[in-house]
Amino acid sequence: MEDLADYVLKYAMDKGVEYVEVRAQQQVQETLMLRSGILEAYMWSVDSGFCTRVIAEGGVGFASTNKWTRDEAREIVDLAIRYAKAAERSEKLVFEKEKSVETKWTVEQKKKLEDVSPEEKIAKLAEANKALASCGVNIAATMLSCTVNLISKHYVNSEGSKISSFIPRIGAYSFITVAEEGKTEQAYQQFGYCGGWEAFKEWSVEERIIHDAKVLKEVITRGKAIKPGTMDLVCGPSVTGIAAHESCGHPMEADRILGREMSQAGRSFIYKGGPYWIGTRIGSEAVTIVDDPTIEHSYGYYAYDDEGVKTRRRYLYKEGVINEFLHNRESAAKLGTRSNGSSRSINYDREAIVRMANTFVLPGDYTEDELIEDVKYGVLMKSFTEWNIDDKRFNQRYVGREAYLIENGEVKHPLARPVIETTTEKFWTAVDAVSKNVEFEAATCGKGDPAQGVPVFTGGPFIRLRRIYIK
Amino acid sequence: MSEALVKTEEIVKKAKALGADEVLAKTTFGKYRQVRFSNNQVDITVAWNDYVTDMALAWKKRVVATQIHNFEDVDGAIKRLMDLAKISQENPTFGGFVKGKFKYAKSKADEKLRELRNLTDYVLEAINAAEKEAGSKVESGGILFTKFEDVYLVSSEGPVGVDNRSAIELSIRAFSEREASGHGVECSSTLKNFKPERAGRKAGEVARLAKGPKVGEEGVYDVIFDPLIMGSLLATWASMASAFYVMVKMSAFVDKLGQKVAPEIVTLKDNAAQYSLANRVFDDEGAPVRENVIIDHGILRTYLHNNSTAKLFKTETTGNAGLVVPTPWNVELEPGDAEVEEIFKEVKRGLYLTNTWYTRFQNYAKGDFSTIPRDGIFVIEKGEMKQSLKDIRISDNILSMLNNIALISKERQHVHWWGEADPPSLAPYVLIKNVRITKSR
Repeated sequence: MEDLADYVLKYAMDKGVEYVEVRAQQQVQETLMLRSGILEAYMWSVDSGFCTRVIAEGGVGFASTNKWTRDEAREIVDLAIRYAKAAERSEKLVFEKEKSVETKWTVEQKKKLEDVSPEEKIAKLAEANKALASCGVNIAATMLSCTVNLISKHYVNSEGSKISSFIPRIGAYSFITVAEEGKTEQAYQQFGYCGGWEAFKEWSVEERIIHDAKVLKEVITRGKAIKPGTMDLVCGPSVTGIAAHESCGHPMEADRILGREMSQAGRSFIYKGGPYWIGTRIGSEAVTIVDDPTIEHSYGYYAYDDEGVKTRRRYLYKEGVINEFLHNRESAAKLGTRSNGSSRSINYDREAIVRMANTFVLPGDYTEDELIEDVKYGVLMKSFTEWNIDDKRFNQRYVGREAYLIENGEVKHPLARPVIETTTEKFWTAVDAVSKNVEFEAATCGKGDPAQGVPVFTGGPFIRLRRIYIK
Repeated sequence: MSEALVKTEEIVKKAKALGADEVLAKTTFGKYRQVRFSNNQVDITVAWNDYVTDMALAWKKRVVATQIHNFEDVDGAIKRLMDLAKISQENPTFGGFVKGKFKYAKSKADEKLRELRNLTDYVLEAINAAEKEAGSKVESGGILFTKFEDVYLVSSEGPVGVDNRSAIELSIRAFSEREASGHGVECSSTLKNFKPERAGRKAGEVARLAKGPKVGEEGVYDVIFDPLIMGSLLATWASMASAFYVMVKMSAFVDKLGQKVAPEIVTLKDNAAQYSLANRVFDDEGAPVRENVIIDHGILRTYLHNNSTAKLFKTETTGNAGLVVPTPWNVELEPGDAEVEEIFKEVKRGLYLTNTWYTRFQNYAKGDFSTIPRDGIFVIEKGEMKQSLKDIRISDNILSMLNNIALISKERQHVHWWGEADPPSLAPYVLIKNVRITKSR
């Protein structure tokens, strides 16, 4: 891996390009999926290959292959250079300057994923399915899956950086349908961790999917519609997390702000010359939202990004004010700042683009009970089902899955799919209190063309919003 | 016989020799090229060369699969897979890979797309067309994508096939103002039929008309869906016809075979036709692809199957494998009798939507969902396009919308973009009555 990467680097540098980097990657992947308790298929593969990205005459070219030969390597470098030159850009692209780095990093595993037998992985999922089937709720269908990734990377660039890494990552997913009284409700859960097999136990998969099943039954049998109106809202970590991800993390991606995603993932309500920019208030003082790849063993963990930049915590909205965008080296150069290590790619055959890692609201001073006690009439929305947001990341909607009426500070009966449909500014401005505890959840963030689903944490604390319209 | 086909056959033979009951191997030599552009300039041009054999085998109904990327160690990969099968778990619903010798249609891939030069020229053609429509201040972004695949498939159960698959598509979104945009796509399996200027013109025209949008109002509207946004709906309906999604209840078509799910004017097909971006002559098990009528004059006639799901549903494969999940290749809504102008005239007060994104479901089995229209959104009054709108959401039910189709145009367009209108489709203009629109408060 390292020899060929060095060969590619030298071959490209000898061609006199302005910048070149090489990313070689091997990804061992296992996926197993149970449909209603039946193992549909067990998939195992090793994918390995390398890519090069060059800047030549102010254009950028990228090429990748999984054929590990010098002939192929020369072909892809020549292609990347030809493509870069063909861009014919009037505004020449440069990357922001970074010091070179030579390092190796890895993620520790208590119990190595590669030492866990397929039988054990199958057994764990099957046990969870069996427990769900006998939990006293009528389960119409289930889908449970588990995916293991062992990712080795070697990165070099023409500025002298040389970074090797190994990331073991495990994820799981559940989708269940509950049928009671002739009606159905559905729920999904995602689990994710960077590290070893110890994650599976920590996740408590059985407990969580059984909880989902019981919640859905309650919604069907006891859930009532909320009378639409303006009221208070307490969001659980799931809802806080999706809101932070969608209406803070995404609009703060600098490539989006600069228009590079204008055709697919869209632009941002934040743009130069517009009503929102760094320093503009977007929420209440109670709201500080960070994106932090450095949380050990988080699903979105990484030490150096895919451009060789050391990463750190980024304060996106700070005490309610737009503070710092997510940057890669290209966006940082365009906006005259430094990369904050936000460049990620899912594999050797995809360009690294600006991405989130773990985005969440920083905790406050309240207990969850204190948040609820002070609500005269409102909704506790602990989790969500349908959600979406427009492509400028301003108009969003979250439909409650586990939600309850709050009356005079007490949690009452379940609510059937209450809906919040509001703007980013109204949502974050309405926050008046934040709980002490943070609970993370795993998710896969979508962006890029071709789509690159990257692992992230969402979640966060409970938050309380005053006077939000709920229907 | 080509060297690649011989090597693919060797993989099957080796796995059989190790004791596998059934083996399937598909080797793909793929060359994919993409130009990404924004703000009227090329951001990056990308080339992916991918050489892969997808392999699946069954041993005593234990189904395992792998992708071989490293051809230096094919024997090791086969042995590893066989070992995995022996410690895996039986799938009693596995119905075997499709059996038989099939004669496939001849592939008509366009050799010009094997390595197309001057990719930037096609992009500039589209950008310039958008500028012509919307003025020099218009900002355009998007992608140009080309694909050429040589595919070799061998199954121990009989199928042996070679296919070449070519495609080219351009997707362009033009902004005439910060919140006024239009989106156009141009999709083809051959260079000859690919006209990037057409996509640019459409994006530019819609962007120009969309200037000065106002926030839309909640309510129930009669809505004309442009082919591009119709592509998103068609993809949703056709994907819900996958037998796998029916089994896991991620479909609103559960238990609805033989029932009326749409008005008589609706005939929905899956057809991996030659013109399509998704053209192919066989599926991933080696069954010949065919035209499948999913909804025939309003009646749900079939789900989409691989061999295993077909056996579970006591029918035959429809040529839509997917090892686990049968998938639609290219969705077609049969054309109606109406001219596009006639459809507009039919609407006294309603909306014309051109595109959407972020479609999400509360409950797939019930079909409750929402999606966010973007790019041109227009009020229609007495058949005329009036005020441009923004910031609205369709919050409705996917079955109700299917049932409320009132008019379908003669004109159709082959559309696809990103994951939003995927798989590709052949989509007309469609009038759907009583669509529920919501907005932020």
